[in-house]
Amino acid sequence: MMSGRLYVIFFLFFTFSLNSIAQSFYSGTVIDENSVPIFGASIIIKNNSNFVQSDIDGKFVIEAKTNDILLISYSGYKNLEFQLSNNYELNDIILKEDINLLDEVVVVGYGNQRKEILTSSVSLVKGDDLTNEPVLNATQALQGKAAGVQIISSDAPGVASQVIIRGLGTIQAGREPLYVVDGILTNNINNINTADIETITVLKDAASLAIYGNRGANGVIIVNTKKGGEEEIKVSYDNFVGIRDISYRPVMANSNSFVTYSNEAILFNLLNDSNPNNDNDLSAFFPSEQLYNTNWIKEISQLAFQSNHNISAAGGNENLKTFFSAGLNQEQGILKGSELERATLRSNLDYKISEKIKYSHSISFQLANSQPKSFGVFTTAYKQAPIVPVIDENGRYGSSVAFNNVGNPVAQLNLQNEKQRFLKLQGSFKIDYEIINNLNFTSRFSVETNHNRFYNFDNRLASYLSLEPGNTIDNFQPTDPEAEQIPETVLYVAHSNDYRWFFDNYFTYKKTFDDSHNINVTLGLVAEENKYETLYGSRINVPADENLNFNLNLGNNNDGTEGSGGGFSETRKLYSYISRLNYDFDKKYLFNFSFRKDASNFFQEKYRYGNFYALSAGWYLSKESFMQESGFDILKARISYGKLGNAQIPSLNIVRYNQGFSYPFGANQDVQQGGTVTATVQEDLSWESTYEFNFGIEFALLDFKLNGEIDFYERVNSNAILPLQLPNTFGFDPFLSHVGEIKNIGVELSLDWKDKINDDLSYSINTNLSYNKNELSKISNQFFTNQTGGNINNGQYTKRVSIGQPLGSFYLYEIAGIDDRGEFVYKDLNNDGEINENDRRFFGTYIPSLVSSFNIKVIYKNFDVNIATYGSFGNKVYNGKKAQRFGNENIEQFVFNNRWTSGRPSTNTPVASNNVPLSSNYFLESGDYFRINNFTIGYTFERENSKLFKNTRLYFTAKNPLILKKFSGYTPELPGDPMGLAGVELDAYPTLSSFYLGINMSF
Amino acid sequence: MNKNNSKLKILIGTFIVVNLFITSCSEDFLEIEANQITANSITEEQAVELVNGIYNIFLSWQVSSFSWNGITSIASDDADKGSDPGDTGSDKHLLDALNHDATSISVAELWEGHFNGIQRANQAINRIQPFDDLDNELKTRLLGEAKFLRALLYFRLLQTFGELPLITETPDINSPLEELLSRATIDETFLFIEGDLIQAIESLPNKNQYPNIELGRATKGAAKTLLAKVSMYQEKWDNVLALTNEVIQSGEYSLTLNYEDIWKEIGENNEESIFEIQAKGAIPSVGVDKYSLTQGARGEGGWGWGFNVPSTDLLNSYEENDLRRDATIIFRGETLYDGRYVPESVVNEMYNQKAYSSAFTEFERTGKNIRILRYAEVLLMNAEAAIHLGGDVSGPINQLRSRAGLNPLNNPTLLDVWNERRWELAFEHDRYFDLVRQGRAASVLQSLGKPFVTGKHELFPIPQQQIDLSNGILTQNPGW
Repeated sequence: MMSGRLYVIFFLFFTFSLNSIAQSFYSGTVIDENSVPIFGASIIIKNNSNFVQSDIDGKFVIEAKTNDILLISYSGYKNLEFQLSNNYELNDIILKEDINLLDEVVVVGYGNQRKEILTSSVSLVKGDDLTNEPVLNATQALQGKAAGVQIISSDAPGVASQVIIRGLGTIQAGREPLYVVDGILTNNINNINTADIETITVLKDAASLAIYGNRGANGVIIVNTKKGGEEEIKVSYDNFVGIRDISYRPVMANSNSFVTYSNEAILFNLLNDSNPNNDNDLSAFFPSEQLYNTNWIKEISQLAFQSNHNISAAGGNENLKTFFSAGLNQEQGILKGSELERATLRSNLDYKISEKIKYSHSISFQLANSQPKSFGVFTTAYKQAPIVPVIDENGRYGSSVAFNNVGNPVAQLNLQNEKQRFLKLQGSFKIDYEIINNLNFTSRFSVETNHNRFYNFDNRLASYLSLEPGNTIDNFQPTDPEAEQIPETVLYVAHSNDYRWFFDNYFTYKKTFDDSHNINVTLGLVAEENKYETLYGSRINVPADENLNFNLNLGNNNDGTEGSGGGFSETRKLYSYISRLNYDFDKKYLFNFSFRKDASNFFQEKYRYGNFYALSAGWYLSKESFMQESGFDILKARISYGKLGNAQIPSLNIVRYNQGFSYPFGANQDVQQGGTVTATVQEDLSWESTYEFNFGIEFALLDFKLNGEIDFYERVNSNAILPLQLPNTFGFDPFLSHVGEIKNIGVELSLDWKDKINDDLSYSINTNLSYNKNELSKISNQFFTNQTGGNINNGQYTKRVSIGQPLGSFYLYEIAGIDDRGEFVYKDLNNDGEINENDRRFFGTYIPSLVSSFNIKVIYKNFDVNIATYGSFGNKVYNGKKAQRFGNENIEQFVFNNRWTSGRPSTNTPVASNNVPLSSNYFLESGDYFRINNFTIGYTFERENSKLFKNTRLYFTAKNPLILKKFSGYTPELPGDPMGLAGVELDAYPTLSSFYLGINMSF
Repeated sequence: MNKNNSKLKILIGTFIVVNLFITSCSEDFLEIEANQITANSITEEQAVELVNGIYNIFLSWQVSSFSWNGITSIASDDADKGSDPGDTGSDKHLLDALNHDATSISVAELWEGHFNGIQRANQAINRIQPFDDLDNELKTRLLGEAKFLRALLYFRLLQTFGELPLITETPDINSPLEELLSRATIDETFLFIEGDLIQAIESLPNKNQYPNIELGRATKGAAKTLLAKVSMYQEKWDNVLALTNEVIQSGEYSLTLNYEDIWKEIGENNEESIFEIQAKGAIPSVGVDKYSLTQGARGEGGWGWGFNVPSTDLLNSYEENDLRRDATIIFRGETLYDGRYVPESVVNEMYNQKAYSSAFTEFERTGKNIRILRYAEVLLMNAEAAIHLGGDVSGPINQLRSRAGLNPLNNPTLLDVWNERRWELAFEHDRYFDLVRQGRAASVLQSLGKPFVTGKHELFPIPQQQIDLSNGILTQNPGW
C-alpha cells in the first residue's frame, strides 16, 4: 500500500513539473461495479495527453483544465469519457466490465481467431452451460443453444441425436456434421464426457468451413476440452441422480372396447368380401367375456433410474498445466432390461518446454456397455390386443397367433439377448514452436481408435415356444427327416475396429504493419488414414452356460455346434493442403480467404482431387466515425461465399459385385458360386459440392446488454447424388449418380440480453430462431426416378423425392370424406375415375421450417434458475404405427370412441375394419411442438472459510416436464434416414420426462 | 535478424522438401488396396462366377417359369390355363384366350428377366475379355459359355418379341435414348445371335471334354444345335442340315431308350441331353423357381397350382399307342411311375408330366432340370431341312417313332414332321413359336376358337411399361 502511494506521489510530482501552473488538480477514485477499487487504471486528458494511473485504492490526482475531456481506461473494462467541470473533487468513477463478446477468441479450423475480426458465421456454446445441469449427450445439449442447428434428439440410452446444420443438403451422402475434438476428426461425440467440454463451436458458413474442404458441407462442430489453469489444483466433483419416464403414452382401447371394435371389423370384412357364404360365418368373432385386460405399454416400460458421477482436477503453474477427469454414468432405458453404462477418463496436459516450444496433449478413453432392446417393442405394445395375457394360465407367454400377427411384447423384450460394447481411445499430441517472432509452426499427430463389439444370443427354441401355445420342443424340428435341422440357439458376435491417424503440420504467421495492416496466415499440410475392419462369426447350438459369457467358441461339426464367420475391411486415405489468409485494416475492414486441396482414395483416379475455397469480407461499421452517435456498441456486416464438399458417401468406386447367383453343375449337382455386377458404376462419383453464400450482421446495443446476430444464407448442393433407374431392358438395379441440385435457403437470428440489476440479481435472456427452406431444385438426367421411401412394412410407402419439393416430403392419398359404409373416400385427383398411384399428392415434409429456442437464466443471491425451451414448427409427422395396422390389432381409445357406426356416422374416423389402410393424410399429423427442455433451480453454499468445501451447489432439474404438441404419438421427434423412417413414427423411442437432483462441489 | 532469416529459410526449405516428398508419395498413398474390387480388377474366381451368374438367371421365375410357360404353351394349342376357374394366374386366362395385351405381366416378366440375363452376360464378357492374366483355355471357354447363353436369351426374346434393342455394353447414362434403346431390324437381330453362336462354337469344348463336375455347361454341340435352330427360324435350310449333321455325326449324342425316362431324375444330362437347365432339389435347393409347383396337380391330394394343363386337342392329336402321350400327360386317377396316386379330387383332368418332380414334389425349387435342347430335336430339324432340300427324312423321323412305339413312315410329309415335332416336344417351350414359324398359327389356333389375328399375334406385345420408360423409343409391335 505504501509503495502505491509513493508511486502516485512520484507521478504527481512528475506531471506537475511538466505542466503549466494555470491548470488545476482534479482528484477521484476509480472503482468497478461492485465498488472494488481498480488499481492501475489509466487516466488521460484527451487533448494534451496528461497521464496518470490509479493507485491501489483506485485513487488518482490529475492536473487539467475545466472542459478538458477525461478518458479512463483499464483492460477488461469499458472506456469511460466525460468532460470536466469546475468541481475538482470528482464523484466515484465506475468502470463497467467489458462484456464485449467480440473480444472472445473463437476456435476455428487449425487455429484460433478473435471474434472481433471474424468474417464467418459461427455459434459458440460454453461448457459451463453443460455442467450446471445433467447432460448426457453433448449433441442433445446443443439443442436450442445455437441458431441454425436443428437437433432431433433421442432419449434412448447411448443414441446420438441427429444434428442438421442449415438444412438437409443431401439424401445419399452423410448428413451429419463433422466433429473435431481437440483436433481429432471424428464421426460422433456420443460418449464424450460432457463435463470435460470447455467450448463447442459450430461452424456454419463457407468462410469457416472451407478449411475442412471435403468434410465441410454439413457443417463442423469443434469441441475443445478443458485445460488446467495457472492456479493451485482444484478438484471438482459433480453428481446427479434422476428418474425418467415416458412423457406421453397413447391411451389404448381396453379389452371390452377391443372386442367390440374387432367384432365390428370382422363383420364388416365378412359382409364386404366377395364370398357371400362368409356372411354368416361366426367362427372368427371374439367372445365378449375376456379374462385379461393387459396394458402392454405399461408391461414393457419401467421408471428408469440414472446416476452420474464425475470428478476432475485442474491446475498447474506457468510451465505445466494439467486437467484430469473421470466420469461414470449408469442409465436404464425405459424398456425393461435395457441399460447403458459408460466410463470415461481424460488427461489433458500443457507443457511449456521453453519460451519457444510448447507441448500439449489430450488423451481420452471412453467405454460404454449397453444392453439394447428393440424399439420395435413400442410398436408391438401399441398393437397387441389387451385380451392377450403377458403369461397365460399355463405359465406360457400369451399368444395371439390365432387372430393376429403381433408378437408378445414382453416375450420379445425378454428373449432379446444382446450386448454392445464401445471403446473409443483418442489421443492428440501437439507441438507449437515459435520459430521467429510472429511465425509459429504447429505439428500435431492424433489417433483415434474405435473398437466396437456386438453380441447377440438368439434362442430360437425359446422364441418358437413363445410364439404359440401349441409349439413344443417335440415339434420344433421339421417333420421331414431329410430337411435341414433348425439350430436351437445361434450366437452371433461381431467386432469392428476402426483406426485413424491424422498428421497435421502448419505454419501460422501473424504480423501488424504500420500499426493498422494486420495479417494472419496459416499454411499447412494434413494427412489422414482410416482403416476399418470388421470380423464376425456365429455358432449354432451353443451350450446354455456359455451364452452367458457370449463366448464364441467355434464349436465343431460333429456335434452340430459348428460356427462360421466372415469379415470386411476398407481403408480410406486423404491428404490435403490447407491455407488461410486473414487481412484487416485497423480491425475495420476485414478480409479472409481460405483454400483447401484434397486428394482422396475413395474415388476413381480422375476424380480424386478437389479444390475447396471461401472468400469473405467484413466491415466494422461501428468503428467508423460517422457511426459514433448511432447507439450501436457494435455493428458489423459480413459476407462470404465458398465451395464445400461432402465426401461421406458409400464406397462408390467399388464395383458392386454381388454373389449368391449360384448354379448347380456336375453329375452330383454341386452348387457353384455365381456372381454378377448388378449396378453400373459411375466413374465420376465423387464428393458432392456445396456452394454457400452467407450475409450476416452482428450488433450490440445498450452498453452491450443486447447482443445479436442475423445471418441469411443460401446453400446449393450442385451435384447431389441421387438414384437413377434405367429401363429394365438394361437389366440393372437402380444406381447412383450426380444428377441433382438441392437448395437450402434460410435466416438465423440470435439475440442475447444480459443485465445486472443489482448485486443480488442478474439475469440473461437468449433466443435463437432458425428458418430454413429446402428443395430439390434441379435434376439433370433422363433416368431419375421419383424415389419413394418411408416404407412402413405393410406394402405402403409414404414419401417421395421429386423435383420442386422439399426433401422428405410425404406423398399420400388424400381423404375426401367417409362414405355411407363408413369407409374412406379418396380424392380422385386426376379425375380418371379410379384411385391409383396417380392420385397421390405432396403434403409437406418432415423437416421443420422453423426451430426456435428461448432461454432464461436468473441469478438471485445464491439461487440460480435456468429455463430452456425449444420449439419446432412447420413440419408433418406420419403416425406409422397406427397406419401399419393389419387385422385384429388394438386401436387407440380415441379411434374406438369416434369410429363410424351406422347409428353414429363419423366424419373423421372410419368404420371398424381389418383392411390394411392406404397411405393417406389421415395418418399425417402436425409435427409442431414446443417444450420446456430444461428447468433447473440451484443453490450455492458459499463457505469461504471452509478449507474443504469452498463451493457447493445443489440443484434440481426437470427435463421435458412440459410438451405442447399436436401429434398423438409417443414423440414428434423422429430421427432417421430421410427416405427411411425419419418423421414416421414406427418403432420410435418415446420422448421422456426426467427429474434430477444434483450436486457440484469443488475443493 | 539475420540469424532468424536463415532459420526461416531452412524451415521453409524443409517444408517444401517434406511437401514434395508427400506429394510424390501421394499416388502410392492413395492406392486402393488389393482386397477391394475396383471397376477393372477381376480374379479368376470371379471370372467363373460371373459366367455362373448367367446360368443362374435361367433358374428365375421370370425367365423359365410361370410367364414363359404362359407364352410358349398356354397361349398355344398344346395347353390350357388349367387350375381353378377363379385363379387367373394374373393373366394366364388372357394368354389362353389370346386376349393378353401390352400390360400383361407375363410379357413384362419375360422381357425384364431375359434382359437381366443379357446384362449379366454383358458384364461377364466385358470383364473377362480384357482380363489378360486369365488362363487362356479357361478364358476362351468362359467367353464361349457367356456368348452361348447371351444368344439363347436373345433368341428366346426374338421368338417372343421379334426385333430387339441389341445391348452389349454398360449404357452411358448421358447418351440419348434413341442410341440406347432403338430396336434393330430382324436381320440385324438374327445376325447378332448368329455371331455369338459362331464364336461359341469356336470356343466351347465338346460335351465329353468337360470334367464330370462341370457337366451342364454349354458345349460345342449345344451351340451348333442352337445355331441350327436359329437358322431354321430363318429357313436357312442348308445351315440347318449341315449343323444337325455335324451334331449327329459327332457321335456324342443318342436317343434315350425310354421316352418317359428323359424327365426323370435318372434322365438328367443323359446321352440325349444337349443343353438343360440344371436344378438341385435337396437342401439347399437351387432349382427353377416354382417351375414344378405352378404346374403341379391342384386341389386335395395335389401338390401344386395346377396351371399349364395339356389341352384336349393335344390329347386327341396323338396316334394310338404313342408312348409319348402318357409320358407327357398326368391323368387324374393315374398312378405315376414313382407310385404316387393322383386322386380324383384334383381339380383338372390332366397335368404336365414333364414338369413333375418325384423327389421334391412340393418344393418351391425342385430338382427338375428343364430340357432346353436334346438330340430328338436335332433329328427333327434334320428331317425338316431334308424335306426342303431333299434328303433322308424318314431316317431321323422313324428313329423317334420307333422309340414312341409307333410304326415307321415311308415318306413323311412336312406335316408329318411338324406333327412329330409337336408330340415329341410338347411342353418344351416351342409350340407357339413353331406354329408361327410354320405359318399356320392363324389356321390352327382359329380352328380352336382362339382369336388369332394375322399380322398381330405372330409376336407378343412389347411391355407397355418399357415403352413408357423409353419415352416411346421402343416401338410397339404391329397390331398391338
